[in-house]
Amino acid sequence: MATSTTDLKSKIIESLNLQDITPEQIDDEAPLFGAGLGLDSIDALELVVMLEKNYGIVIKDIEEGRPAFRSVRTLADFIDARQVSS
Amino acid sequence: MAERFPVITGIGIVAAPGANLTEVWQAVANGACGLKPLSLFQSPRYGQVPVGEIRFDLRKLGAPLRGSRSDKMGWLAARDAIADAKLNISDYGDRAGVLLGCSVGGSFDSEQFLINLMKRGIMRPRPTRFHECVSAIETIADHFGLYGPSMGIATACSSGALAIAAAAEMIQTGEADVMLAGGTDSLSRTTWSGFHSLLLVDSQGCRPFDVTRGGMSFGEGAAVLVLENEETARKRGATIIARLTGWGASCDAHHATQPHPDGAGALAAMKAALHRANLPATAIDYVNAHGTGTRDNDLAEAKALKTLFGDKVPPFSSTKRIFGHALAASGALEAVVCIEALRRQQLPPNPGYFQPDPAIGLEPVTKLRPASLTHVMSNSFGFGGNNGTLIFSLPDTQPQTRPLETVPVAITGIGMTGPGKQTTREIEPPMPADKLTVHSCGQLDTTSLTPNQRRRLSRIIQMALLAARRCPPVSAGQRVAVALGTALGSLDEGSIVLENWIAKDEREPMPARFPGSVHNAAAAQIAIDLAVHGLNSAPTTGSVSFECALWQGMCQLAGNQAEFALVGAVDELNKYPLGVGKRWGFWSEQTKPGEGAVLAQISNEPKAATQLARVTAIRIGRYRRPFDAKREADWILAAASLKNGAALFSGSGGWAALDEHYQAVIKELSSRTGHAIEHRTYKQDCGEFGAASAFGFAAAIDWVRQTGRGALLYTLCPRGGKAVCCIEP
Repeated sequence: MATSTTDLKSKIIESLNLQDITPEQIDDEAPLFGAGLGLDSIDALELVVMLEKNYGIVIKDIEEGRPAFRSVRTLADFIDARQVSS
Repeated sequence: MAERFPVITGIGIVAAPGANLTEVWQAVANGACGLKPLSLFQSPRYGQVPVGEIRFDLRKLGAPLRGSRSDKMGWLAARDAIADAKLNISDYGDRAGVLLGCSVGGSFDSEQFLINLMKRGIMRPRPTRFHECVSAIETIADHFGLYGPSMGIATACSSGALAIAAAAEMIQTGEADVMLAGGTDSLSRTTWSGFHSLLLVDSQGCRPFDVTRGGMSFGEGAAVLVLENEETARKRGATIIARLTGWGASCDAHHATQPHPDGAGALAAMKAALHRANLPATAIDYVNAHGTGTRDNDLAEAKALKTLFGDKVPPFSSTKRIFGHALAASGALEAVVCIEALRRQQLPPNPGYFQPDPAIGLEPVTKLRPASLTHVMSNSFGFGGNNGTLIFSLPDTQPQTRPLETVPVAITGIGMTGPGKQTTREIEPPMPADKLTVHSCGQLDTTSLTPNQRRRLSRIIQMALLAARRCPPVSAGQRVAVALGTALGSLDEGSIVLENWIAKDEREPMPARFPGSVHNAAAAQIAIDLAVHGLNSAPTTGSVSFECALWQGMCQLAGNQAEFALVGAVDELNKYPLGVGKRWGFWSEQTKPGEGAVLAQISNEPKAATQLARVTAIRIGRYRRPFDAKREADWILAAASLKNGAALFSGSGGWAALDEHYQAVIKELSSRTGHAIEHRTYKQDCGEFGAASAFGFAAAIDWVRQTGRGALLYTLCPRGGKAVCCIEP
């Protein structure tokens, strides 16, 4: 089953403590880092923890996650691909 | 004043590769990997990751029974350094002190307290007695009888280098003739899990500058140098091993954990050290790189080396695979490597390097080899972009080090969070349920902070940031140093990370919170917020942490390393010291715990457009036990004049045992000066906590402005430290 992006957005908001943001405000395709939500490399590490906790996906090298962290869409696709392959 | 040059006359070292200098150098010369799987504590996820752990018994080497693992390592290194220098400390009285970098401090031991509490419901708080970073300094000062300036510096991985630099300034400014200087840090679960959560640890052991490098490796240990004023060292016939001719500090002001990608801060620290030493870059014959083995550090450091040295980068190496990265001790361990390289005229190798990285484009020394070395450089860079560089030179060189003499400074602004209001505070689990009357800053008004600062930064950092923002603005391009003292640092953040580690057996770590748990996180965030790149320091010296910060800021101004300095202190209320303190009977109707942050902006007088008051003198030391009021009065009067009508602001009304000491000193000072001294206190307003004397400083400034008379701020720490500073209109 494809990962729900709404669900994923809620998990991102929770794990990154994005206090003033609702899932509806995050565009599936918008960049998460840099300009988009203003996230930085430490947020990427929190996403690594979130992925392991919620989806059982272990990332040992941040470079591995970098392409996946571009947007909510790429992250959802990454989760789907990893869960199929495991 | 005759020029005073710091020289090294003794070395003590204990680290994973060896219990003494001979063993350690043997390992360095062999370029052997000193890393093995972890045995000190259980780590379900990362137990097989190699680490530079001390496997021998510290007790068998003679370490004291009391104290944390860091205290014991520091004590051993200090003992060996004193013996190596053939130093008779008792000849020096108030003229010998100790200044160490400690960042992990007693965490390894206090973690055991929390594990017992959370897993077994047993409350055994004794190890927390040694939790503070200053504990190692006190252990050493008390045992060896050092009554001169004592101070701890907790700037994560650059602590050891900054401590050696500050000790050199103590010598140069004439505060001391002998300083034990270095660093000590043990492994701890907090740092272990924290760096793993940041994905910064190489599971194969660090490989600095290699193209396949995958991160750092942990280490632990201590190194202590005996720094002496050259003139007094020569007088006693001491053997001079090397000179410390240059030191410099800088701040990237870029990111909590990542270095500036161009190595701008690293470059600035190296340049500052060369400037101080009055040497051109071409004089440097070897660089002991910070070289942690993380992708970002090694790349940024290589860029900085290439920018500074052009196509003539001197031989360099990282010795991190031999020691592991011993955090606050690493700058001191590597200072020893540099001094031994000079003494033996040999270049130490860089184990772990096999394949060049085209992005780096530099090759480190791969095998021990002889070389003609006159001046060598040691780099240490820490979290928060906190950088320190030291330059060591042969004893027979003529030093060109720029002289340093502290001068009065103008206070050009002051900002505060607090003093806290009296309120009842519940003590939360896992501590036994309890309540206390405290002075709390309550819910902070963070509307002026950015959304990222609100969601990411811990409360103690926000307290400091808000205080800093209440100081007059500094413009971009101005050279500004930040020194923010703290006794206990980010206890909330540190304990949340650790509670999580214990409760979840190392799963679901907190990478966003760990960087906030280091002592210098608040100082670093101030630098990032204000975009200032000068020295960035976090002195940790119990109740006189503020005065240590003020002293560091004044030295930066005196040496013209900065046009302005933001100096202050911060500490926060936290359930653990509240609960443990209550059990130990520290808190009472008189002694109520408090919290808060004060930042003062200081400047060299000619440049200060507006000034609130001036700081005309500052002195830091340790008092003797039993307390001798006559001696104390001498000590104060040697530092500061006490004009008729001046007031003395004391820390009375805090720790009850100190009240009689303050009273005795005031009585003695009154009889010496022949006029009554107005005694003023401030702890009734802010409560008792490590940073409280910063509120005393603010109160003294108010008083000076209102009365037009002078004030002394005199602070005693229950654990032996003391400080006096003189504030005048």
